[in-house]
Amino acid sequence: MTSKKIDKKDIAKLLGQWSRQFAVLAPSKASGVAEMAEWDGTDTSFLGWYRNTVIPPKASFFPPMEEMFRFQKDREGYHIELPPTNEHKQLIFGIRPCDARALAILDMTFKEAYEDPYYLPKRSSAVLVGLGCTNPYDSCFCTSLGISPAQSTDVDLMLTDTGDEFLIEEVTDKGKGLIAKTSGLKETTEDDEAKAKEAKETSHNKVTRKIDTEGIGDRLLAFFDDEDYWEKIAAKCISCGICTLLCPTCYCFDINDELVRQQGTRFRSWDSCAFPLYTKMPMENPRLEKWRRVRQKVCHKYEFYPMTFNVIACTGCGRCIRLCPVNWDITQTLANLPVKTEAKRGKASNIL
Amino acid sequence: MEQKLKQEAKSLLEQGKVDWIIGFEPGSLKFTTTPLITKDKNDADRLVINPFIVNNLANFLTEVKGRVGIVAKGCDSRSIVSLIQDNKVVRENVVILGVPCPGIIDLGKVERLVGKDRDELDDIIREGDKVIIKVNGEKKEFPATEALFDNCLACEFPTPQEYDILLGEPKPGALNLAQSRGNIEKLEGLTPEQRWDFWKKELSRCIRCYACRNVCPACFCQRCFVEETEPQWALPVPRWQDNLIFQIVRNIHVAGRCTDCGECERVCPVNIPLRSLTREMYDIVDELFHFKAGMDKDALPLMTHYEQEEAEEFFR
Repeated sequence: MTSKKIDKKDIAKLLGQWSRQFAVLAPSKASGVAEMAEWDGTDTSFLGWYRNTVIPPKASFFPPMEEMFRFQKDREGYHIELPPTNEHKQLIFGIRPCDARALAILDMTFKEAYEDPYYLPKRSSAVLVGLGCTNPYDSCFCTSLGISPAQSTDVDLMLTDTGDEFLIEEVTDKGKGLIAKTSGLKETTEDDEAKAKEAKETSHNKVTRKIDTEGIGDRLLAFFDDEDYWEKIAAKCISCGICTLLCPTCYCFDINDELVRQQGTRFRSWDSCAFPLYTKMPMENPRLEKWRRVRQKVCHKYEFYPMTFNVIACTGCGRCIRLCPVNWDITQTLANLPVKTEAKRGKASNIL
Repeated sequence: MEQKLKQEAKSLLEQGKVDWIIGFEPGSLKFTTTPLITKDKNDADRLVINPFIVNNLANFLTEVKGRVGIVAKGCDSRSIVSLIQDNKVVRENVVILGVPCPGIIDLGKVERLVGKDRDELDDIIREGDKVIIKVNGEKKEFPATEALFDNCLACEFPTPQEYDILLGEPKPGALNLAQSRGNIEKLEGLTPEQRWDFWKKELSRCIRCYACRNVCPACFCQRCFVEETEPQWALPVPRWQDNLIFQIVRNIHVAGRCTDCGECERVCPVNIPLRSLTREMYDIVDELFHFKAGMDKDALPLMTHYEQEEAEEFFR
């Protein structure tokens, strides 16, 4: 992989160049919460505080709320007006490898399972510039999901902190193309490459929280019907939406219309399987008991998603652990699965 | 205190005086605890009492069936009493293990004091009116009032008013009322337009995770108005206007029930200063009705009855 490098103090210049071509998003707390927000043209203080955002970068492609269309009713019927397509391409600067992988996982739903007309245009025009972790949280467990906190996959360009500089790897053709049009970058030496390699290894070893994913789908299947276990681990859950809404791979959404006189708007917004009213509108929520909802969250990520897409829908970003009001910890739930005696097949009536 | 709790909890379960114990056990992250809800007497040894027992466990009382032994700080015990007033909990079914509370450590404040995240700290120790933070082998000392939750600084009743077993000596309250209302006073100094802009910005971040509502013992409606569809009071879409309606109505619904336990603000993942609303309502309830939530289990709930002397004409 070819690479370039840049002085840390020149990052503002780099983002400035890219701002002419893209809507540059970078880590920011300006709104009151850490998220990827439109870069203000000067601020690079995030290089000091940024470990990861609270709002996952999926929000730039699949926002908490968006207008699907507007409609108007008159004597002739309904008239539909689609929202204007945003021509401005997004460049996300500083995305972490866990969150970049999460977007690749979301693509499987929004691109392979069906083509989502709201997600895909934003996603396919975007450039992802990754930034390797140097200081993972104690709640991070990405290495157990086959991700290394400074790895260069699922992004177009990858930055690695080598001290006073960042090494920039050109990961995709899109990334290469962007670098070709970027000025002010320096050539790398073998020494730089060695430093970057060492930095990657160091950060990898800083992730100490581990789970055993070997045969996890089968283990969950074996205890799918173990109501006692799920009731026990679900007892302290308060059925809020933090762990799911802020999960970088959760993609459930709700659709709501607002009709004021004859003018209407259809919105879609994040939804969560943790909510008792989930899917209440089209039918009923088949998971009335809390333990069924908690089981769904765990099994969807570690059992059902792998059945469909052959990948675990968890990247070990740790947000669900850090942000949980009651310190419900998915790594404990997975670690404490009862010891397997014999595989019990879930009854069809109980599959929900 | 912790040893006594373990013994009491174990014997309550052993003697069949309770079916459940609800308390705290060590959490999975540094400086955290997590609710322990158990029927197993052997779990009693896991119970802890420390400056990080944040949750208001009264929230779980309506979830378990049977008799419950529950660990309660001052504010939590008032939430339990409030639930008794509302006929949500039967007094005889609860054994309150009262914890006289010296105040709970606000990890957000600690992080701001030392400029480090919680997982980067070596230790946080409460010693009387000091909090000692150990970071990178260095010891930093702060007045406790700078590291405790705002609601703890305002707490008038840190020792449970209603309890069956008190686990320690009563503690002094109202550590720093002025500081606890700091953010509210700032808001009161603004013009209505500026306040509107403030809340518009704050509530624009809401993602409708409903953690503030679900963590609140006073929010016990079986179906929240904000999720009603006929009529639809507000859209379940995180638009700031709808978020504002959600918070305003939630506040009115918990008036006279809110004990200022501060959980709504603590759990908000997007840092909305919700206590500036709830504490203001708490003070208004006190000023207008001379009512403090959860003080007397035999008192009628504030919002479900009226007195002949009520000021409003239409009530008579």
